[in-house]
Amino acid sequence: MDEIIKHSKVIENEEVKKWKAGGGRVVGYICVATPTEIMEAAGLLPFRIKALGSSRTEIADAHLSRYNCSFCRSCLQLGLEGAYDFLDGIIETNGCDHLRGMIENWDYVKKFGFLHYLKVPHIVDKDSMEFYEEELRLYKKAVEDHFGRKINDDELWKQIKAKNRIRDKLRKIYELREKDEPAFTGAEVLSILLAAMSVPSPVLEGLLDRVIEERKDKKITGYKARLLLAGSITDEVDFIKEIESIGGLVVADAFCYGSRAFWPPMAEQDGDPFKIMARMYLEKLLCPRMFNDFPARRDFVLEAVERAKVDGVMLVHNKFCDVHGVDNVQLRIALEKKKIPVLQLEKEYGAKADMGRLRTRVQAFLERIGGGR
Amino acid sequence: MKLFPVGLFDRLANQLALLSYLPEPVLKGGGPLLAKLHILPDDMQNTLASVFAPQNKDGAMAFLKMITRWILDARSAADNGKKVILVPFNFPPEIIHAFEKAVPLTSEVMSTLGVLGLNGQGERYWDMAMGLGLPDHMCSANTIELGSMLGSEDFRPQALISSGPGGCDVNSKIHELVSHHLGIPQFFLQKPPEDSGRGFNYYTIYMRALIKQLEEFLGEKMTEQKLRKVIEKANRCAELYLEMWDLHKAVPCPVPNLFSLFLYGTRFTMWGTDEAIANLETLVSITKKRLAEKAYPAEKEVARCLWCYVSYYFDFSHFFNWMEEQGYTHLGDGLNLCFPQIIDTSTMDSMLKGLTLAAWNMPMTRQVGAESMSRSWSEDCIYAVKELNADCVIFPGHHSCKQTWSVASILRNEVTKRTGVPVLFLQGDAWIKKMTPMSVIQQEIDEFIKNVVLRKSSGKRKIRRKGEQISEPGSQG
Repeated sequence: MDEIIKHSKVIENEEVKKWKAGGGRVVGYICVATPTEIMEAAGLLPFRIKALGSSRTEIADAHLSRYNCSFCRSCLQLGLEGAYDFLDGIIETNGCDHLRGMIENWDYVKKFGFLHYLKVPHIVDKDSMEFYEEELRLYKKAVEDHFGRKINDDELWKQIKAKNRIRDKLRKIYELREKDEPAFTGAEVLSILLAAMSVPSPVLEGLLDRVIEERKDKKITGYKARLLLAGSITDEVDFIKEIESIGGLVVADAFCYGSRAFWPPMAEQDGDPFKIMARMYLEKLLCPRMFNDFPARRDFVLEAVERAKVDGVMLVHNKFCDVHGVDNVQLRIALEKKKIPVLQLEKEYGAKADMGRLRTRVQAFLERIGGGR
Repeated sequence: MKLFPVGLFDRLANQLALLSYLPEPVLKGGGPLLAKLHILPDDMQNTLASVFAPQNKDGAMAFLKMITRWILDARSAADNGKKVILVPFNFPPEIIHAFEKAVPLTSEVMSTLGVLGLNGQGERYWDMAMGLGLPDHMCSANTIELGSMLGSEDFRPQALISSGPGGCDVNSKIHELVSHHLGIPQFFLQKPPEDSGRGFNYYTIYMRALIKQLEEFLGEKMTEQKLRKVIEKANRCAELYLEMWDLHKAVPCPVPNLFSLFLYGTRFTMWGTDEAIANLETLVSITKKRLAEKAYPAEKEVARCLWCYVSYYFDFSHFFNWMEEQGYTHLGDGLNLCFPQIIDTSTMDSMLKGLTLAAWNMPMTRQVGAESMSRSWSEDCIYAVKELNADCVIFPGHHSCKQTWSVASILRNEVTKRTGVPVLFLQGDAWIKKMTPMSVIQQEIDEFIKNVVLRKSSGKRKIRRKGEQISEPGSQG
């Protein structure tokens, strides 16, 4: 666990440095609708952009605005400060309006060596699936052309299978986390996910095996309530630590730096890898940037609530995050219909000054739902 | 007619129905009188003062006539065996007009009319939406009208079309919520953010799929004959619209400031109908007359301003009219940048292709729904600056418009670099007065024009270039 935490705390971790020192190339991505198997099949290290709780945005604010999400502004700040200079390129997606603006400004100010825009439809239907499948083939071609390495189906399948093994191991960690006496805190699980999206797959597999072995018999007790946390993109381990420090153990989540990044299983084991990846990454994309599948997102949360025996749900969105801000309202209404206690919170990303207010709200919520535990 | 309406649509429809009973001379004579008597609430007073200003009056009457018909058609739709389809502003309404059994209702236009015509503007409906827990960074353009549907006993459409996906997250999300909350079907026209022919081909596929879904929903086939009729009228609208675009180029600008809004108000509602043609013909005829007379509301035209996205709609009098009184021409805003084209009516295919292109070119879809939000938006603004001989560009900074805010700095750089005209950033809510008061907006515009635009055009203000010393005329530098 210590090694995972070490990797999760910095942008350019030791494994990335080793990879670069060995002549490897690293390509950034932001959105979970990006099949990283394609990069790995080209021998690249996919690296998910994060801000790690950095709330400084003064350089970014000169480009994006105060009306844009502070997570994106924090990432842009780091990018313009040079924290991501180790990247050899980036795969952009139209995850949300803020994210598009972030990449356009980043590239406008500081040209990326390689920038490919993977356009992800907002609707799941036959035509959109076809469009996305074509997009994946264009993405593969762009990677091949720029990095000079052909990607064949066998290599893609190898990576798909490796990714599936990782998904299984992460699900195992969630199983341990959701137990009656959980083996992981929510903060630890977020650290695992942060590391998982920034180290090479073979290294990750080893780390996950070790942490599962290390924690399989651990039992966390003494908390007031079991929480599910869902909402906007966040990598704020400290935010979860704060919640847990006052007795709310986060036993489940619906974050894109969490379960939404790996949960849906990939059933198919052969066939056209692009068709299969398209289904995996679009049809099963549990993100509110999709505008016609709220029932799937609602059911995903409801199932997790039941599975993890959750006492209450915290729905959080970063200020100005429209997709989660609205989705959280729909989710709150759906959860309340099922008599599941909900706390809906709006916050600024990484804002330590906001923590006192949030703490008070969470404390009140815990008193409401967790008094008896 | 509901006797005690509470929703935005119902209240507006009642007002407009009452007005429609008045003979035009009574309205034309009584309106200015009412505007002077100060017996109405301030908000309504400001609207009346603006629309009955001499330069606006006849155009406003024509627009009012058209918009009344549009709203009353929606209200009487059920009685006439029709369904009301709620559409966003970036969806070409002529597609709905091409069906016998459907009428379009545009949410943003309803919000704007509510803000203009109702006592208390749209704030009570905004508050209803906030009461549901929606965040305060929602777009008031939609949220006011939809808040009324969500939170009050108001008129309800039978289905909605969302053409926000690809161009605007916040629009798309509230459409999804409304569809679930009201239990009405939602149809999509998503925009692939792909500028190539491949993007347009997919958009064509999506458009055809949408029309098919509408046909199934309405139980009516879109016929070639009916579509041709509508498109022929839409083509006439396009001609008139482009004529107005050309008239904007004259110095001083003969087009009254408020007409920019009447133009896109027509584009978003009745495009492709006789009422739209009549309205646009009136606007053209008034403007031509003003051109011949070299008429301008102020002593001289001081600055020609292009608003690069939306304008402010909560106080016409102290925005559009005030600008004119200062000699500040409103050359139109980003919503005018829809570049309508004449559609080939020879076959069903050519008409559908033309409609798809029209949808592709609708404001917002065309600019921030493009592959690069900043590039497409900047190109359009730069084109408009050059064509219309603008002296400056003003970004209204509508607070919920995250996609424009996210690339506005690039737009500013590109516009200033490539045209030399300065860009002003404002901050506020275009439909809600309590965010930034109009007096503050006026002050910022005024200071910008006096201290930046005019000094620049008089040569008193130099653009500092790297390594260059600043020298003011008359100094020793």
